[in-house]
Amino acid sequence: MTGIVTGGWEFVWAAYGITAAVLVAYGLRLAVGLRKGKEHDER
Amino acid sequence: METAPAFSPKAVRGAIAALGVGVLLLAIGWYVGLFVAPPEHYMGEVQRIMYVHVPTAWNAMLVLSFAFLCALAFLWKNDWKWDARLEAAVEMGVLLSFLLCVQGAIWAKPTWGVWWDWDPRLTTTAVMLVAFVGILALRHLVDDPRKRAVWSSVATVISYASVPIVYFSVRWWNSLHQVQSTPQTVDSAMVTPLRIAALGMLFVWIAFVTLRSQLARRRLAQELAPPPFTTATVAAGGEG
Amino acid sequence: MRAVAAAFYKDVLLGWRGRAQGMAVAVFGATLLLLLSFAVGPNAQTLRQLGGGFLWVALLFASTLALTESFRLERENRAIEGLLLLGVHPAAIFYGKALANWLHLFVLGLLLLPVMVVLYDPALDGIAGVVGVLALGTAGLSAPGTLHAGLASQTRAQQVLLPLLLFPLVVPVLIAAVRATSLCLLGDPMGQARSWALLLLAFDGVFWPLCGLLFGHVIEE
Repeated sequence: MTGIVTGGWEFVWAAYGITAAVLVAYGLRLAVGLRKGKEHDER
Repeated sequence: METAPAFSPKAVRGAIAALGVGVLLLAIGWYVGLFVAPPEHYMGEVQRIMYVHVPTAWNAMLVLSFAFLCALAFLWKNDWKWDARLEAAVEMGVLLSFLLCVQGAIWAKPTWGVWWDWDPRLTTTAVMLVAFVGILALRHLVDDPRKRAVWSSVATVISYASVPIVYFSVRWWNSLHQVQSTPQTVDSAMVTPLRIAALGMLFVWIAFVTLRSQLARRRLAQELAPPPFTTATVAAGGEG
Repeated sequence: MRAVAAAFYKDVLLGWRGRAQGMAVAVFGATLLLLLSFAVGPNAQTLRQLGGGFLWVALLFASTLALTESFRLERENRAIEGLLLLGVHPAAIFYGKALANWLHLFVLGLLLLPVMVVLYDPALDGIAGVVGVLALGTAGLSAPGTLHAGLASQTRAQQVLLPLLLFPLVVPVLIAAVRATSLCLLGDPMGQARSWALLLLAFDGVFWPLCGLLFGHVIEE
């Protein structure tokens, strides 16, 4: 293997994309949980 | 047993504000890291993964340390709010550890040709991921709130205490076979977006942990509230 | 101290009375050694390299059965509450049980050793060292194992919970014990086995006190 790595943008996008997706998904889960609880309290 | 800590709408609002700040900082840090900062000489564009990987690493360590403190605080003070925070922190710790392992694998493949290169820090993270998933499983499998709180605190304390030993033994085990992997020195042009992204992620997880612990408080309130029937019956019946 | 000795004696006696179960656990471990050899294939050279590692993997899996068993009678008869009511300190209960489990696991390891020797054909001049590593390593398994077995035995999914909680914790024990055992069996030109043994000792030094301290929280009502 030569010393210099060429290209590789697909790996960069994969790393950022998965991270962002997981964080957004968790945030949505929290939002849904909070909203459901608020309705339950107000009932 | 004391009642659960109250749900705090103010905390929720503060957390959402923190989340906004965090997302903004992350966007700035990542934009600069992805499009403005120069590529590294040997690793090329792949090295840009650093701007998401290093902040995740720092913050994963912070979250797990916070979880450890919550566990100690609960065992010492017996205050339910620490259990709520512990639940949130362990979940966040699992999330960040998982991301760390995934990012590490994505970085390793183009760099070393393998998905996993047994880097001591990453391998220790994988072990901690399993440990904290186990603590989440424990919490799911125990219905009694008090036992759940005490046992997950004990498990958290022990798991956190094992981190240095795990790291040391993996590093030693690995040193017999290969050279250290990830580069330590960082160019100054790269430090600033790195720090911005790390700060952004800090705000994000603080916000998430706050929101999640509010959810935990709500559930605790339902679990700890005495059923109306029983209290009246006991009061009427008196001592046996 | 007397409470610890009494608890130890009780658990050893219970273990002896339940020795049929103990033999079944040993057979399970031996079967594991056999199955693992199938994963590798009949290449004698490869098997020789892996014997030390597989001994510890088999021992680790078998230990979850042994540790679970050590709390079964207590759980079924609610015996621990009885001991606590009598005023026995939880740490004494822990150390008595952990010491007994250490003995059980050590014996289990000794039973698996000849099976490993037969299947994986290592050189025999390092065997004394391996016995020493077995002693140190099973101590490392016993302390956190007893703590988490005590915890898991009170849940409804103890079969899965004990391994899930225990295995990440004992990674250092596994790494160090496998390295030390392999060095004893395959040759140790640079004398590293002692360093790995010291790591095991350090692990024991941290976790025996720590688990003893925390056990009270696990069995309180």
